[in-house]
Amino acid sequence: MRLEKCWFCSSTVYPGHGIQFVRNDAKIFRFCRSKCHKNFKMKRNPRKVKWTKAYRRLHGKDMTQDSTFEFERKRNRPERYDRNLAEDVLKAIPKIDKIRVSREEKHHKNRMKGNKAKLLKEAVKELEQGISLVKAPSVLEKDPSLTLPKIKVQVSQQQAEENHPMEE
Amino acid sequence: MRTVLKVVDNSGAKKVMCIQALKGKKGARLGDTIVASVKEAHPNGKVKKGKVVYGVVVRAAMQRGRCDGSEVKFDDNAVVLVDKQGLPIGTRVFGPVPHELRMKKHVKILTLAGHIA
Repeated sequence: MRLEKCWFCSSTVYPGHGIQFVRNDAKIFRFCRSKCHKNFKMKRNPRKVKWTKAYRRLHGKDMTQDSTFEFERKRNRPERYDRNLAEDVLKAIPKIDKIRVSREEKHHKNRMKGNKAKLLKEAVKELEQGISLVKAPSVLEKDPSLTLPKIKVQVSQQQAEENHPMEE
Repeated sequence: MRTVLKVVDNSGAKKVMCIQALKGKKGARLGDTIVASVKEAHPNGKVKKGKVVYGVVVRAAMQRGRCDGSEVKFDDNAVVLVDKQGLPIGTRVFGPVPHELRMKKHVKILTLAGHIA
């Protein structure tokens, strides 16, 4: 039994699930569920919809090139049944699955590499800017240990001299 | 009833209007046989305008359940004209047809069709 892929989200369409639409030029569009069918009817492009496999592949979110994908491929030539071969295939399936999952994890880890430092930097910045939201300024005045250390900057005295004429 | 369907064979009719579904009171579905009146026809075809003919619905825009529980639907509503015995009047069938016609004993239409969905 052949398990087809959904035209929209590229997930597997199991027997008895979903709907298929046959266009007048005999192209068959299979959908795994009504969600995908509705999106197709709305003429959405799966490459632009974020939750589809097509989008994730296009934007480098998922692993695209890997030798483990070669095993799960559409073959138009039927294989002649051979008991030993079938046994070997059944044995190999979990192994290949395991390798694929581990490689996917590695890909994800690689993709998320620089994220932790970036997040930390952002958090520090936010804390610096928004500390008054957590602690009221009056409290900070009372307890100097909560504020950042003050830096003294020398200011020239010119401004004070300018103000004198106003008083007269 | 009163549905205008496209004729997708070379019998000479272009459009027919359903005047009776031969099975069931709810109207015809994909694969059902209907009685229809020819509304538009080619000038020198086998079937003339105004004739009452039989036809098999080979494409329907409304989805129909398949034996495994999934569903199939098509782009338009189309018929192939047949005689009372169920043999097609034309000699060609255009466009895709569903394989469910085999269960309805319309094997001749399936053999004439180019694409089977």
